[in-house]
Amino acid sequence: MRRFLKHNGLSLAFLGMFLAALVFQAIAGLAEFNDEQDMHGDPHVSLWRYLTSSAFGAAVMENWQSEYLQFTLFALLTVWLLQRGSPESKELGSEGRESDEDQLVGEHAREDSPRWARVDGLRRRVYENSLLLVMAAIWIGTWFAQSLTGVTEYNAERLDHHMETLSWLEYLGSANFWERTLQNWQSEFLAVGSLAIFAVYLRQRGSPESKPVGASHHSTGVQG
Amino acid sequence: MPGTAVLTALIALACLAPAGCGTGDKERDAAAVTERFHAALERDDGRAACRELSATAASAVEQEEGRSCEEAILRLDLPLGAAAGASRVYLRSASVDLADGRVTFLSEGPAGWKVSADGCTPTTPGRPYECELEG
Repeated sequence: MRRFLKHNGLSLAFLGMFLAALVFQAIAGLAEFNDEQDMHGDPHVSLWRYLTSSAFGAAVMENWQSEYLQFTLFALLTVWLLQRGSPESKELGSEGRESDEDQLVGEHAREDSPRWARVDGLRRRVYENSLLLVMAAIWIGTWFAQSLTGVTEYNAERLDHHMETLSWLEYLGSANFWERTLQNWQSEFLAVGSLAIFAVYLRQRGSPESKPVGASHHSTGVQG
Repeated sequence: MPGTAVLTALIALACLAPAGCGTGDKERDAAAVTERFHAALERDDGRAACRELSATAASAVEQEEGRSCEEAILRLDLPLGAAAGASRVYLRSASVDLADGRVTFLSEGPAGWKVSADGCTPTTPGRPYECELEG
């Protein structure tokens, strides 16, 4: 058990923080929702009713989709785009999918390589892109869920104001959908871009997100 | 496979949007209230019609007309005996199309669906409907 905790500390810590943040988001969100109910003279809703509402669903999904878009783009763009001096980048001159030998696939695979790295054909192609495929699938799925919860919330508000409702397709072209989407995207792109460039000049001793403290500013693809 | 589990979870999450799943009963309830309201107007039963109004709509009618709700509501140009057509429910708000082309808006409270606006016609696209009765 101790060995399990030690070997999986990073993911367990973030899982714990995620669950705690989600719980507190639900509590704060319920309080805010019931404040708005008071403003409209409507009765308070229970925690369970709020958790199964489009208000909570939209708030969670619009954040999840932007996070997974960030990872999707980061995994994809770092194949071909470089940042001189950044530990987030591959070394200069190594842009592209790299050779089979470098990637330890096919005949170059080792005994402890994953099974699908050792085979040829479709299975290896899928496994070679599995990180991108899963991240992109989750991004598309959560963005879709955001659109469904968002159109419900938006149309409820339109009916409250005695206005015509939008179809789901019309909602995809609405300012409400794109404002909610882009407000999340801009922060994700800023965060990743900031890390890529800050790590050129700044250091965090012991972190693999940083270069070694004494590494030069122009050394690229080096981890601390 | 992990991908199947993720997809299933996302579909389940999407179905938490009430309008996406299971709103058929709510639409029928909203339509039924609408028809009850207009049937009461047709037989000049102001009291029954006012029972179907939201508190704010009833109060608005009384203030505008300077009479009790059951008297004031019969003086408005509202559809009499109108049959309910298509209805839409999103969370606790609904709209019901009427046979004469006008629309009724409803809100759901502790006592069920209540009419919040009636005799509504569209104006400029993207702007609120103009309603004969509005709460």
